[in-house]
Amino acid sequence: MISILEIFLNFLKIGLFAFGGAYAVIPLIEEQMVTNTGWMTFTEFSDLVAIDELTPGPIIINSSTFIGMKLAGVPGAIAATLACVIPGAIIALTLVWLYQKYKEIPVINEAIRVLKCMSVALIFSVLIKMFLSAVFPEGIAALKEINIPSLIMVIVSFYVLKKFKTNPLFVMLACGCITLLLSFLNL
Amino acid sequence: MLKKAWLLFINTFSISMTANSGYAMLGVIKNRFVDKYGWFTKEEMEDFIALAQSCPGPIACSSATIIGYQSAGVIGALASITGVILPPFIMMILVTMFYTFISTNAYVRIFIDGMQAGVCAMLLDVVLGLFSGVQKMNKPFYYVMVLLSFLYVRLTKYSIFYLALMCIAIAIIKTFLTKKKVEESL
Repeated sequence: MISILEIFLNFLKIGLFAFGGAYAVIPLIEEQMVTNTGWMTFTEFSDLVAIDELTPGPIIINSSTFIGMKLAGVPGAIAATLACVIPGAIIALTLVWLYQKYKEIPVINEAIRVLKCMSVALIFSVLIKMFLSAVFPEGIAALKEINIPSLIMVIVSFYVLKKFKTNPLFVMLACGCITLLLSFLNL
Repeated sequence: MLKKAWLLFINTFSISMTANSGYAMLGVIKNRFVDKYGWFTKEEMEDFIALAQSCPGPIACSSATIIGYQSAGVIGALASITGVILPPFIMMILVTMFYTFISTNAYVRIFIDGMQAGVCAMLLDVVLGLFSGVQKMNKPFYYVMVLLSFLYVRLTKYSIFYLALMCIAIAIIKTFLTKKKVEESL
């Protein structure tokens, strides 16, 4: 059994470094939950990213509640969710205090810009992993095992998202339905 | 004070329950607290949003903390952050129970695996959107930071938490160097 304190500390770390937009937390969760602690498999992690997109609410809260709940039930969910919002809340209060004193804080603006650059690279890296596991389910070495329907769906989905500004929710559900249909047709 | 805290809780709770993204929430927050209650001016609200964007974690939480603190101190901050967290928290508990219940079913598994194609496309869209933000900063320095971060995370086994700390250090050094340059040119 994973202790509540361990869950709390891990999510405190995630909450402290989740700079750079809603999706910035995804690479942190992958590293902390899949690579470092092994509390989740990569499949569970991929499922979680899909679930985050299907449910409203901030990704970091959805993810921490989900993971905490899976690891240790409702107490785990409470610990994880509290831990991931505490650093942000403390920093917010500190910034308000600094802002009232100094009005302008150039170092913080610069730090946020650099962290945003980092966040682009990190999310891109997770995207590569997810893309490979979706298109090459047997691993990149098994080039023959390329999942062509999946590759086509990625390309078409991206086109649809860009061109029609569709809600990603519908695109994802459509991908799920098509895959299920293909499996019934034995393709 | 307590009445204000209660109002904060009720409002953030109802906003969090109905708005589907952080930025949509900011619009409604402005609507309630600036236009309806008149607790802040429009300009103050804009400053709060800028500050909230500099905090880690969801902008919904950081803006709620700031607004709560400004209206009713620490109790206000606690009230509004609880209001923001509760709706997604309760919903995710239900979703997780449902997920654990259905995810072992073979058909559900195929469906969830199939959704991954859509997830990849969505993430690609997100990455490109964020990258156009980097382009708007319009300086080679930021492109170099993107490239270095990417190489770090792909080629080394070190934690990305160290990368984040290094980024903050680089930003601090850069700010001081630019400051010096400006002072020298004066």
